[in-house]
Amino acid sequence: MPGQQSRRSVLAALAALSLSGVSACTGSGGRQPRTTGTIGKSTTRVTFWSALRGSQEVVDEFNRTHRHIQVDFQQVPSGALGGYAKLSNAARAGNAPDVATIEYPQVPGFAIDGVARDITDLVDADLRGKLLPQALQLTTFDRRVFSVPLDVEPMVLHYRTDLFREYGLDVPATWDDFEEAARVVRKRAPDRRLALFPTDGMTQFAAWSWQAGSRWFDTSKGAWNVSMADAPSRRVAGYWQRLWDQDLVFMNPTEGARGTAQIGQGRLLARLSGAWDAGAQMNAHPGQAGKWAVAPLPQWDTRHPVSATHGGSTFAVTKDCRNPEAAMEFISWQVTHPDALRARLSSGTSSQFPAAPGLIEVGRKAFDRSYYSGQDIYALFREQARLIDDRWTWGPRMTATQKVMQDGFARAAGGQGTIIGAVREAQRGTMPDLKALGLSTTAHSS
Amino acid sequence: MTTTTTTDTVAPPSRAAPRSSAAQRRGARRRRLGACGVLMTPFFVLLVTVFLIPVGTAVWLSFFGADQPGLGFGPERTVFVGLRSYAAVLTDPTFLGGLGTVAAYCLFYIPLMVVCALGLALLLDSGVVRLRSWAQLGLFLPHAVPGIIAAIIWLYLYTPGISPVIELLARGNITVDFLGVHTVLPSIVNIAVWSNLGYNTIIFYAALQAVPREVIEASVVDGAGPVRTALQVKTPLVRSSIVMVAMFTLIWGLQLFTEPMLLGQQTPMINSRFTPSMYIYDAAFNRNNYSLAAAASVILLVCTIALSYGVTRWTNRSDGTEEAAR
Repeated sequence: MPGQQSRRSVLAALAALSLSGVSACTGSGGRQPRTTGTIGKSTTRVTFWSALRGSQEVVDEFNRTHRHIQVDFQQVPSGALGGYAKLSNAARAGNAPDVATIEYPQVPGFAIDGVARDITDLVDADLRGKLLPQALQLTTFDRRVFSVPLDVEPMVLHYRTDLFREYGLDVPATWDDFEEAARVVRKRAPDRRLALFPTDGMTQFAAWSWQAGSRWFDTSKGAWNVSMADAPSRRVAGYWQRLWDQDLVFMNPTEGARGTAQIGQGRLLARLSGAWDAGAQMNAHPGQAGKWAVAPLPQWDTRHPVSATHGGSTFAVTKDCRNPEAAMEFISWQVTHPDALRARLSSGTSSQFPAAPGLIEVGRKAFDRSYYSGQDIYALFREQARLIDDRWTWGPRMTATQKVMQDGFARAAGGQGTIIGAVREAQRGTMPDLKALGLSTTAHSS
Repeated sequence: MTTTTTTDTVAPPSRAAPRSSAAQRRGARRRRLGACGVLMTPFFVLLVTVFLIPVGTAVWLSFFGADQPGLGFGPERTVFVGLRSYAAVLTDPTFLGGLGTVAAYCLFYIPLMVVCALGLALLLDSGVVRLRSWAQLGLFLPHAVPGIIAAIIWLYLYTPGISPVIELLARGNITVDFLGVHTVLPSIVNIAVWSNLGYNTIIFYAALQAVPREVIEASVVDGAGPVRTALQVKTPLVRSSIVMVAMFTLIWGLQLFTEPMLLGQQTPMINSRFTPSMYIYDAAFNRNNYSLAAAASVILLVCTIALSYGVTRWTNRSDGTEEAAR
């Protein structure tokens, strides 16, 4: 026994040694180009914050292929976990990074706070032409561009092919079909449901409303016109309320143990989420390979199919950036260069759908289709991305609006209040905020 | 009560002063002023740096805003906005909801706390309890647990799936959701009572010790039983302590923050603006709206001062009427 023990500890020590050796090698390897004389004093340094997976790989690739600009990358927590608070505080203290990652809903807020710089003049016609117009429109306010879209994520229907077959279900093309399918699932398998109304899902609810033709925020006539409970929103809220009241859907958070278990145990037959979720699903449930497929989002009116986005990120140049041209060059490379997308996809399983249509082919080739039984999901995403309604605008304080709405959803799931009640509450909780910021506002409760 | 006794004990030297000569008097006076200065300076330094300056900053912040006209995409400029932030706070249903929450909390918590603490103190004082010092220690120990740790302990006991309490109850076929719509406020009150009961009991017990024994003897001679002595003789004599405890509990209650902030991680029934303090935190750090946060802070401060003043006035007046009745 003692002999074995000592042998084991020797092995452990050896392993530790070799590990430290490896890390030392990679460490010096990574640092080498910066210290050696190959890069002159003209090198511009750009600092970059992101919570996106694979960013380190992208930055390494950029630094390898660029001489006059070198990027210092810092992984930050995601927005919900304090990443946005960190960015706001850094900007307040005057030391924000040169380039920051901001999701679409938060772009107007950071633009109003002056954290995201007006980069209209830096976005040249070439870059503009490479980006999907619907994506760029989401980062343009008052005809000024405040950040550059990286990915645009049309919402799609991810569904379990095996269980759909078992219950004899067709892929629902309309929301009426969807409701009917939900009823069948409930009848055939009382512990299973077709779908989930996520109580932590303002972004999902927004996408449904967006698809139905809602415009929560509108900036015409020089004011923020807020009408979160407009007719299309009410229609969507009423639809999901009916499904919930009839016990046809689950209603709980999608993030966290419960939501993960519902998918892991096969109790949830479908997910309504962005294109990115195809890759996230592969990471989270490798054992369900071959059981999932992707379909277009159900429609209200199949003659005029419309889509909306769920998720997606943008890159902004901050007010503290001393060399916006260099920062912009890095951003431009990240969102349009094939090497950047390849580097990101190399980090693991991702199904990010690029905002630059030119890169779709790169993503399509790099994506491993085996999980989806060979389905060409990128072709589907491309179809869906074209259908994104381009009239949507996010509001100036989405993080706060989101919290209030999701609190209301959670209460509705607990039997207190309704989905539309939560939406109205979110609007009421948002207006004082906007007024206190000195913005021109009008509120509509049509 | 306590203040009058201290001034009585300090007073005699000053009464003795006239006997000494004028020079001596001046020297003594200077020394006394010096001592006063030395003893009071730290207090005033702290008062200014940790109270007056922050309050002043909050008031200043609440009247100014970093404004951009129209849609807000222009350059920022700091402007005087008058009462705009106050109007925004007072028209915000989420802030008013938070005020309602603490009002319900106080209405529930303060009477419960005062009655329980006073009852325990009277029991301790009556001599019914054996091992009195052990009972006091046991009651006081929870107060030594920092509030955040207490909240974590109770969060563990309240969370379904990991709580042994819920599991035990479930075995007896009782299902309780401690974090449900109607139970979450009582659950918070329970944490507060657990933490502060012992402390307030000690305050009442100390006050009861100061009740002259001859008064109690007289009441016993007059034929009052132990319960009557406790309720009609001892309790009125510790009134000032009751008022003090109620007032401190009220001030703490209005600032309710730690417990709901932690429990909020486990239950959707506690939102990010559940109490005014949480609203202020949310306004400053989630919404980046410092003038809104400052205005809400000032409103909370004014509410606290007004309520404390109201409680003092009300009890003074009823004191006066009582004396007049005698």
